[in-house]
Amino acid sequence: MLGPALLLLGVFILVPMALTVWLSFQDWSSETGFDTAKFIGLDNFFEIFGPTSVGRDFKGALVNTALYTLASVVLTLPLSVLFGLLVYQMRVGGGVVLRTVLFSTYMVPMIAVALVWSKLYSPSEGPINQMLGWVGMPGSPWLSSPDTALGSIVLLNVWQQVGYFTVLAVAGLTQIPGVVYEAAAIDGARPLQRFFFITLPLLRRTLLFSAVIGIINAVQVFEPVALITQGGPIGATNVLTYHIRRVGIERSQGGLGSAMAVTLMLALIVLIVALFAFARRGGEAEQ
Amino acid sequence: MTLALPTAKAPRRHRPLGDWLILTAIVVISVAAAFPLAWMVLTSLKTPAETMQTPPVWFPATPSLDAYFKVAGVIDAGRSFLNSAIIAILTTAGILVTSLLAGYAFAKYEFRGRNWIFAAVIATMFLPPIVTLIPLYRMVGYLHIDGNLAGVIVPNLANAFGIFLMRQFIKGVPDELIDAARIDGASELRIVFSIVAPSVVPAIAALALFAFVYHWNSYLWPLTVLQGHTDQYPIVISLSRLLSYNRGAMNTGLVMAGATMAVLPPLVLFVLLQRFFVDSIVSSGVKG
Repeated sequence: MLGPALLLLGVFILVPMALTVWLSFQDWSSETGFDTAKFIGLDNFFEIFGPTSVGRDFKGALVNTALYTLASVVLTLPLSVLFGLLVYQMRVGGGVVLRTVLFSTYMVPMIAVALVWSKLYSPSEGPINQMLGWVGMPGSPWLSSPDTALGSIVLLNVWQQVGYFTVLAVAGLTQIPGVVYEAAAIDGARPLQRFFFITLPLLRRTLLFSAVIGIINAVQVFEPVALITQGGPIGATNVLTYHIRRVGIERSQGGLGSAMAVTLMLALIVLIVALFAFARRGGEAEQ
Repeated sequence: MTLALPTAKAPRRHRPLGDWLILTAIVVISVAAAFPLAWMVLTSLKTPAETMQTPPVWFPATPSLDAYFKVAGVIDAGRSFLNSAIIAILTTAGILVTSLLAGYAFAKYEFRGRNWIFAAVIATMFLPPIVTLIPLYRMVGYLHIDGNLAGVIVPNLANAFGIFLMRQFIKGVPDELIDAARIDGASELRIVFSIVAPSVVPAIAALALFAFVYHWNSYLWPLTVLQGHTDQYPIVISLSRLLSYNRGAMNTGLVMAGATMAVLPPLVLFVLLQRFFVDSIVSSGVKG
């Protein structure tokens, strides 16, 4: 019963994961067999964190990915709760329509999203700057300036994914028993008080789950960068998934690319463990 | 939820201000969310001149399907769609079988180390694909499946989310049902496919839809394993060829027509079957 699944997961996930770790200590070209790998200790790691252009590019990608991830999660989570409340409320209709529209963007291939948004963002021919002009605001260079390019990709990513997180938030809201709100109403709690002292604390587990998924999704951003910006302008959108693939596969520097991948994996493990520890501490403090 | 229902639909002559605010928010957010996709479709119907005007034209003066016909002149759209369909359908079928079997084992068998093995399976769900991409790229070469559809499909035939989803739902299938089948002499494989599977049809539908959409849309792995073999490209990768063609010809409508075509299958599936999608996210997010 378990045979097929464990064999496949073992061969295509665990083995390559172990190989990535092993290759990170080797000098190896990904155009040749694994048998040509030469052990060089920690040299790959020294190089990717060193002062040469390899190190500068990697550290740049690491910072870009961190900023991108932080901005994506910080924007998506509050929006998902707000949209979740709008979907979940029963006072007026339209909640299901909103859910359908929001979630359908999540079904669209990222490549199509990237293509469409590159047109929406076009400084002269795009409708976004045109609409900003209508309300008297200055246009933005969006993807074509190093100051705004990464943020522009964050926005298109939030647009695509917020529907998924909204559905998670609605799932969390349905778990909150109605009696809690009734008790609060009897005690005279105002809507804002109810939100901050009941809804948000009781959504803690959902938000933790959303944050973890949001982080994992954010480090995977690839299509808009590969297709539209190629990491530019001036490296402003060079993110890790794009950079690791470029170094490890397009430039065939398999050892260096693997060291970068291992660094990413370690960073993710530390971040997620820290997040869980933080959430647990917060939970105990409340009880 | 049920507690709120009676008052919710009560007829009121004057809606309070709060209700109007909520309604306005719903409308504004829905329109904003739908806008990029609407722009994509509108642009695909414009003439080349209209797509390049400043300020932009919102609605084409005479909507035309020219761009859709031109797509076929640049990429082999039929072949790309067939490749996408083969990748998505075969991968989905594989995931369904492996997930049902493994989900059944994790839900109904007692064996040493079960929880540890299950935890290890779940952990793979949180691993970004880029971490395994470089050695995997080499491994499909060893297996002689690089550069073709098999190389895209085979590494994805099992996945942790599917196993997790099936286990969650199969746990709810009564043991008595399974024991009765065993007494009748049914093999374990027979039990999975003719007793357990029919009892978890909604979960199977949800998983099938998720897997289909995910693998229809997936980009990084097919791009890596197929590089250069344009006759094997799924539609999402052929789209990027449309863009590089477009840079010379400056016809945005062409790219938007291609994108509209690529978006349709997953979007239609979702609209038809969204209940299953939403239910499975709810059960994977909350019960997990």
